[in-house]
Order: sequence, then C-alpha cells, then structure tokens
Amino acid sequence: MTEQIDKALAREYEAGFVSDVESETFLPGLDEDVIRRISGMKNEPEWMLEWRLSAFREWLEMEEPDWAHVDYPKIDFQSISYYSAPKSMKDKPKSLDEVDPELLRTYEKLGIPLIEQQMLAGIAVDAVFDSVSVVTTFRDKLEEAGVIFCPISEAIQKYPELVKKYLGSVVPKKDNYFAALNCAVFTDGSFVYIPKGTRCPMELSTYFRINEQNTGQFERTLIIADEGSHVSYLEGCTAPQRDENQLHAAVVELVALDDAEIKYSTVQNWYPGDEDGKGGIFNFVTKRGICHTNAKISWTQVETGSSVTWKYPSCILKGDNSVGEFYSVALTRGRQQADTGTKMIHLGKNTRSTIISKGISAGKSNNSYRGLVRMNPGAKGARNFTQCDSLLIGDQCGAHTFPYIESRNPSAIIEHEATTSKVSDEQMFLCRQRGLDPEKAVSMIVNGFCKEVFKELPMEFAVEAGKLLEISLEGSVG
Amino acid sequence: MSNTNSLLTIKDLYASVEDKQIIKGLNLDIKPGEVHAIMGPNGAGKSTLGYVLSGRDGYSVDGGSVALAGQDLLEMETEDRARAGLFLAFQYPVEIPGVSNLEFLKASVDAQREARGEEAITSAEFLKEAKIACKQVDLPVSFLKRGVNEGFSGGEKKRNELMQMLLLKPKLCILDETDSGLDIDALQVVAEGVNSQRSADRSFIVVTHYQRLLDYIKPDFVHVLSDGKIVKSGDASLAHELEAQGYAWLQKAPAEDELEG
Amino acid sequence: MSEWLESAITRAQNLDDWLAPKRAHALELLAQTKWPTRKTEAWRYTPLRPVERTQAGVVSHDVDLSPEAITGLTAIELVFVNGKFDAAQSTKELPAGLLVSLGRNLDATQQAAALNAFSAIKPERHLFGLVNDALAEDVMIVSVAQGVEIAQPIRISSLLSQGAESHTRVQVSLADGARLTVIEDIQSQGDTLSTAFVEYDIAANAYLEHYRFALQTGSNVAIGGSHFNLSDKSKMHSSIVGFGSDLSRLDTDIIHGGEFADAKLNAIYLLDGKELFDLHATVEHAMPNGTTEENVRCIVADRARAVFNGRIHIHRDAQKTLAALNNRNLLMSDKAEINTKPELEIYADDVRCAHGATVAEIDKQALYYLQTRGVSRSKAQVMLNFGFINELIDLMPNAALAEWVRPIIRERFAQMEVK
Repeated sequence: MTEQIDKALAREYEAGFVSDVESETFLPGLDEDVIRRISGMKNEPEWMLEWRLSAFREWLEMEEPDWAHVDYPKIDFQSISYYSAPKSMKDKPKSLDEVDPELLRTYEKLGIPLIEQQMLAGIAVDAVFDSVSVVTTFRDKLEEAGVIFCPISEAIQKYPELVKKYLGSVVPKKDNYFAALNCAVFTDGSFVYIPKGTRCPMELSTYFRINEQNTGQFERTLIIADEGSHVSYLEGCTAPQRDENQLHAAVVELVALDDAEIKYSTVQNWYPGDEDGKGGIFNFVTKRGICHTNAKISWTQVETGSSVTWKYPSCILKGDNSVGEFYSVALTRGRQQADTGTKMIHLGKNTRSTIISKGISAGKSNNSYRGLVRMNPGAKGARNFTQCDSLLIGDQCGAHTFPYIESRNPSAIIEHEATTSKVSDEQMFLCRQRGLDPEKAVSMIVNGFCKEVFKELPMEFAVEAGKLLEISLEGSVG
Repeated sequence: MSNTNSLLTIKDLYASVEDKQIIKGLNLDIKPGEVHAIMGPNGAGKSTLGYVLSGRDGYSVDGGSVALAGQDLLEMETEDRARAGLFLAFQYPVEIPGVSNLEFLKASVDAQREARGEEAITSAEFLKEAKIACKQVDLPVSFLKRGVNEGFSGGEKKRNELMQMLLLKPKLCILDETDSGLDIDALQVVAEGVNSQRSADRSFIVVTHYQRLLDYIKPDFVHVLSDGKIVKSGDASLAHELEAQGYAWLQKAPAEDELEG
Repeated sequence: MSEWLESAITRAQNLDDWLAPKRAHALELLAQTKWPTRKTEAWRYTPLRPVERTQAGVVSHDVDLSPEAITGLTAIELVFVNGKFDAAQSTKELPAGLLVSLGRNLDATQQAAALNAFSAIKPERHLFGLVNDALAEDVMIVSVAQGVEIAQPIRISSLLSQGAESHTRVQVSLADGARLTVIEDIQSQGDTLSTAFVEYDIAANAYLEHYRFALQTGSNVAIGGSHFNLSDKSKMHSSIVGFGSDLSRLDTDIIHGGEFADAKLNAIYLLDGKELFDLHATVEHAMPNGTTEENVRCIVADRARAVFNGRIHIHRDAQKTLAALNNRNLLMSDKAEINTKPELEIYADDVRCAHGATVAEIDKQALYYLQTRGVSRSKAQVMLNFGFINELIDLMPNAALAEWVRPIIRERFAQMEVK
C-alpha cells in the first residue's frame, strides 16, 4: 500500500523549466567590493551601503548554525553569484507594456498572469525575478488608498525614513547567520506600508522566481501596518530544475502597530531536488513579526518545495492583548529535509498565540517541527495552544517534534499536544470500497489531515496548495 | 446451481486471514431483487464474507469463484468491485478526520459515475440529493460538513453508512451487523431506509447475529453460517426458529453440507 | 573546562584497579568533551555554576550517618557513606538467588562479566556519567538469578556529610524471568557534590520495580542517572520523586532493546526557594512492539526553576510501538520558571506516539470552590497541589513507600505555601 501512497504523492515539478532571458550576472564571489557593487547597481544612499557593510562584517564573525535536524554539504559562499538581473531591466520599465515579453511568459507559465486585465480582481502582484523586481501591478489603485506596495529597492530611494526606521527593527542584523548574510547582500523584495486605519483594498502578493544558474536569491520583505490597518499578503516561489543546490536566504519583517492586522501566507514550492536528493534549493529563511497593542499577525505556510528548509516564522507579542498565529503544512518526500516551526514570544499581558503544525513525511525525507513558546514575566494571563501532528507515509522517512516551552509567569497557560499517525489500512479500505482509486484516497486523507491549515489560506492559495498536494476537492464542495 | 440470471454467484469459496482459514466451501446464489439474511454464531465467518467479497487487503481467497453480474469479482481491485455495484455497510465504520462527508461522498459518486462513463454530477445537484438522503436516514444536514464518521455516535455511524448506500445506489448491498449497537428507534430508521431501497434490480445480504432486524427487513431467504460454510437455508421462518433455539444445536447436529444449491 | 573537572581528572588518573580500562576510556572521552554552556543543548537551562564553585571534596567516610528507617518496609540495605560502601550498615544475609558484591571482590569470571557490562547501558554523552565512570571506586554489582523473585526491595542509600564529594555506581542485572525492586535514595547534609549512577539490565520476561528519591534540598549538587535496558517481554515500573537543590540533575534512559517490552515512568518534582531540578528522560524504542507510558508532574514555587526534557526516539525497526508522554506543570509564583521540552523523533510509520505538555497555575475555580466550603486559601492550595501530585503517588506499586513519601510531600507543600 505504501507504494500506492508514494505514487499518489509523487508529482512532476511543473515549475522546473528555465526561461531564456538574457541576464546580467555578477561573477561568483563575496567580499566588500561585491556589496558595494550591489549597492551601486541599486543607486543606494550611503547609509544603506554602510548598513550592508556592517552586517557583512558581523557575518564574517558568525558561525553557520548546526542545531537543526538537517544535513547538507557545506555551502561555499564564494561560489555563489550575488546579483543577477534580466538585461531588459536595465532601464526599468515604466509600465507592463515595456516589460520583456519572455518575462511575462515566465510568470504566465507559472500561473501568475501579470497583465492586469487578465488577473483575478483583487490581487496586486510584485514579481521578483532573480535579484530584481520585474513589475508591480495595480499600483495606481493602491496609491489611491494610500497603500505603498513597491520593490524595496525603490522604497529605499522614495521612503528612506520608513525604511531607516523599520529595516532591521524586527530581525536585527546579527540575529542569525543567514539573516546577517541577507542584510549584506539582499537585492530586492517587496515593501508594503498600510496607512493608519486603512484596510488594504486588495490582496498583495509577491512571486519569487530564481532563474539563473549558480545564483543565490536574497530577498528582503518589509511590511508595516500602521495603527488600525489591515493587510493580507501572499507569497509564492519557484525555481528551475537544476542539478546544483541553490541558496535562498530571505528575511521578512512584519510590523503590526496598535490594532493592526497582518495576514501573511506562503506557498513555498522551490525546486525540491530529484528523488535521489540531487539539486534543489536550500531555503534558509528568517521571518518575524512584532505585534504592538491589540495587533495580530497570522502566518500561514504550505511548504512543499526546497531540498532543505530552515524556517521559523515568528511573532513577538509585545503589546498587551496582541495575537500571534502560525498555521503550517509541511510535506517532504524524496530526500527532502524540513526543519520548520515558529517562535511565539509573549511579552505583553493577555497575549494569545495558536500554533497548528501538520507535517507529512514520505519517501526518505525528514520533517521536523521546531517551536518555542516563551512566556516572559510580564505575560500576565497569556495563553498558548499548540497542536503538532505528523503523518508518516512509508517506513523510510522521519517525523520529529522539538517544542521548547518556557514559562516565567504563573498566570500564563500553555497547552501543547503532539501526535503521530499514518494513513490507516482501514481508511484506505473504506475509501476504496466506495469506489475511490488509491491515489485519490490518499490525497483525500492527507487533505483532511491538513484541513485546519488550509482553511486559513486565502481562497486562491487554498486551491493552489491543494493542487500542490494533488488534492483537488478542497473548496469545490460544501 | 443455475446462475444465468443471478446477480451474485459464490461457488465453493475458501478464504483465509493471516493463514487461518475462515471461509470453508461456501456456496450462495442471489438473484436480482432478493434479500438474503446470513445468520450464525460469533466467529462463523460472517464479517469475513463481506471483506472477502469487497476485496480487503489481508483476506486471501484460497479457492472457489465469485461472479457479480457475470463478472469475475475476485479478479477485481476493491474500488472496481465498488464501481461494479458492490456496497459494504461496515460494522465498525472508520473515521477520516478532516475529510467532510460531502467531499467524500461526492468523490465516491464521481468515481463511480466516471467508471460507468457518465458525467460528474454538479455540486448543487449532489448537495440536493445528499440532503434528501440525510433526511431519509434521520441525520441532520450538518453531518454532511462534518469529518467522515468523526465523533459520530455508534448509531450515527450506522445511519451514515446507510446514507452512503442511498447515494451510491449499488446493485448489491452487504449490511454487516448493521443492527449491532442500535436502539429500537435507530433500528427502525435503518430498516426503513433499507426497505425503501428494495427493488427488482437491487439485492441485499443482511448479515446479523439476531433475528430482531429481520422483523423489519423481511428476508426472502435465511442462511445459517457456521464454521465457514452455510449449514442450513430456509425462508424467513428459519430466523424465528433460530431465535427460539439459539445456535447451540449447531455443535450437536451433524454438518448438513450439501443443503445448498 | 572547570577547575573541579580538572581536579577530578587528576584524581582519576591516580586510580588503578579492575576498572582501569573503563576509566581510561572515560578519561579519553572527557578530554574531548567541552565543558557545557548555555549553548550545549543538554544543559541549555541548567547553568553549571554550582559545580564550578563547589567547595565539596573528598572527606573521611568515618562519620555518623545512617539511612532513615521506613515504616512497614524491610529492605536489603546497601549503604554508602561519602561514596564509600559501609558494610557495617548494610545487610549481610541475602536471599538465595541474589548476588550483591563489590566489583573488586568478584572472582575473575564474574569480574570480567561485570567489566563488560559496565557503562554498556548508560549513554556516553553524559559528561558527569563519564566523571562517575572515572571516579567511582566502590562499584557494586547486584544480580538476580534466572526466575528468582526477590521479595524484599533492595535499598541503595547514598549518604553525604557536609563538604563531601561522592561518586557511587551500581550495576544491577535481572536474569530471565527474575523480579526485583530497587530503591535509590540520596541524602545529603550541607554543601555536597554527588554523582550517582545505576545501570539496570533487565533480561527477557523479567520485571523491575524502581524508585528514585532525591529528597534532600539546600546547597548541594546532585547529579545522577538511572539507565535501563529492556529485553524481550520484560517490564519496568519506575517512580521518581525529587526536590531541588542548587543543582539537581537526573537523567533516565530507557532502552527497548527487546520486543514487547513495557516501560512505565512516573516522575514528580517539587521545587522551592532558589532550587533547580532538571530531569532528562530519554526513551529509545530500538525494537518493535514496545510500549512506554511516562507521566511527569512538577510544581515550582518561589524563585525555583524546573527543567524537563522528555525525548522519545522511535527507531526505524520499532514498528507497532505505543509511546505516550504526559507532562504537566504548575507555577506558583511570579519568579518561578519552567522550561519543558517534550521531543519526538520518529522513524517508523506504524506506531502511535503522542506527547502533551501543559503549564498553568492552580485551578482558580477549584480554589474558589474549596474556599466557599470554608477551607482557607492556603489550605485549599495545599490540598489542590497535593491532589495533583497524589495521583502519581497512588500509582506506586509499593504501599509502604507511598505511605512513607506522602507526609514528606505534604510537609514540603506546607513549606512551599508559607512564602
């Protein structure tokens, strides 16, 4: 039966094609000069360059973390190219008509049409191709509402005060090895500012695409939701199928000021490598948000790609009554390794956090949940609920749970539960007795297992996530 | 034994679980529209028969043949048997957390329609039918949105099985101890549901330990299963006889092997 | 590396007896081991300052210390004073089928076997376990012959006087179908430092009933381990009760080295003042069809800190394992702290594993309910705390021990409440 299940989960990596786009790419290597050149390409002000250089100097002193339950060859940071941009982007296109049609075709092939008329109403997209933002749609409409949604390189020029104030405020430069590296070499990413009391009129979305060989992608995202505002942000990512590992080390910072709400959803589908573990993306990402009084940050992630994932979207619940949520589905197969989870740091009174993590391991993969719930002395009346469920498919994979629970306030309540199960023979028999083929039965059972997380995703993403797990029924009935 | 117009023909069936032979030379012939009750003491192989007919993993056939509407059932995968019209109402229905009843049923119905070369039913139409089926088995419509059997009581699970039967419209229904764990009201609901589905082209195998259920679902034939084979067959009155006597006589009486056929 | 460790190593280098090869191996490993810091995962929440600052050292064992009598319990006594075996206070008449002997007094064949078994179950990862390997001198060997049931429990008492350092080590083996109860008890006075490790080899169909009491409090450092290897169809039932000290650390390792083995572990710890107690409970399911059930409950008052690490590791071949860990913690004060980490590491698919952990304060509704019935708030608190712990005491198979420990715990609660 395991064989049938494996077959059901096996899928072609549909985003594995390479686009024929002429690029301008730095030679591999990393030193202060490379950082100056990146900064120069982007016409950055001096303060930004200084910031990068100081991060780089910190990074040189730091050590690569080794505590995660993952195993990968040492990364040679000198063999990576830190900048690659389509040549056609040299003179930045002012509108969609000026964008290289090959780039537009790339995104269309990925199911992300950038032609505004064709787009599902209600989603503005920033498309990042290798190191640069290619196009951001619906900007006019957003500007009307006062919402800023632009490449971060542009924000550094146009909104330096906001960037200076908040960049590195949630994830400090020397927070960890990969974050420090990102600070030094980040090339592009999205910047969002939602003004006070504003409900962002549409979903915002960024699609990241690595195309060029031997390049790393180091994007930086900064979202600031001013007091009483609301935004829902979606992130998707893909890369071509290549035999070499490629590094993706992003940093995402969220700032939810008083009474603000940020919903951040990710469908991560970087190339996972082949069945034998050859190639694939190393996905080492730092994501963190800070919640001020009464604010809420909700992370939802569906992680199906990458050969190695190292990622802990976290919430610092600084303000009283603030809320943090983390909903995660992580599917590993082949030789994939995922070490992912969250940190909920409760500082304020009556802060609340919920963690729902669903790990599915198949093939020869290893899937770990790693989480921290910390109740600081000031977290009076705070609450956390954590549920970690693992589903094992086959006897060659691993499913692991490493929750850290720290409490220093007697009135705080923490509840943590973890279970592990498999797709049972009885469930398979019932489904097949009703006429479902084994593949359909498995995907349906796995889908059911993930339901609590999928229901947190925005509609369009839920459909995409379902497809990623070869589950098509989600949302079509009921 | 003639099977020219039979729906199900079981000939000299031997089957085992984990190397233990449970079915030992069973013969049965069911014509369209007939209701056959199979009674017998615990351990006689009653539930095994349902699992063997539906092709459950771990139940191996050691000999004999089974034909459903002329097709060789034993050659088919579990899901293909279902698509050919065989339905098993489970004695202990399993839970599938997170998968709603409605999703599950629509997927099943779609799979079966597809196998018959029919088009998939629209969601709206299906929902309408499902609501009617709920009403028929006295389950609140909200059960359609709940996970398959998730947190259902024993009686609710049984009615949920019946609802599935109503929607899938099988040719042959095997009810495996559907009466166990049901109070008299629930029993009546289940029986009414079954009776409403009786028709000239649908047959039933009603597996039960007690005669009680047969007061509500009147069988055309009653068979007594003991030690893996049918030892006595008769009409509905046999059930009453068994109720009065119990199964103890089986131990004493000489095996009446050739009663069948 | 700490000064204390350096001195320990020097002392060990001067020892020469039947355990020489094991000591040499331990010293070799110690030389490669870094002194743990906050970044060392196994010591993340347990700073070693009390060890670094210890004033304890080797002192005379000629002191007047005796194990406390337990009403209703007649045990085979094995007494250690300041790390030395005290034959005078120990039981001399042993039932048939039970061997109790210092390793050095065994005959050559027995000694070879004991040497082979030494440190076979205790994992090498534990720094203080290695120190114990290197420094334990009066290593005691206990074995029960095939099919023999020893009715009287064996009580191993380790007694320390002010300023003493002690390293005790016992090897217990149960042959096929044997049954035995072992009580490990450590009592110390004032500033002391002890490492106390016991290894249990439980053969097929054997049954071990195990207790470990660490009821001393104060400025001592108490580090120890109870390590179990379960063979086919063997069973163990372990009860642990601990109070904290400057530094109390206990490691338990349960290894399912055979099929159809069954392990139960219930641990209670109650901390007050500035005490720290750290329990690391590891279960290795290396073989199929094993079952494990662990219940760990902890109450932390004042400025005390509790650490729990509960790891369940299901190996690739350990199909059909059932393992469950339940960890519940109560925090009684604003300054108290709990750090708990229940871990699962699973490599087999047809298993059922679960863990649950909660941290909370006392049930306010229950407290209120008792108060409305006229019980004072402080009494009510003691009652509720006691109830929380008593559920596990009720599970102790030995009634005399349960009756003995109950009032001690009650007394502890009364003290905890005063602050």
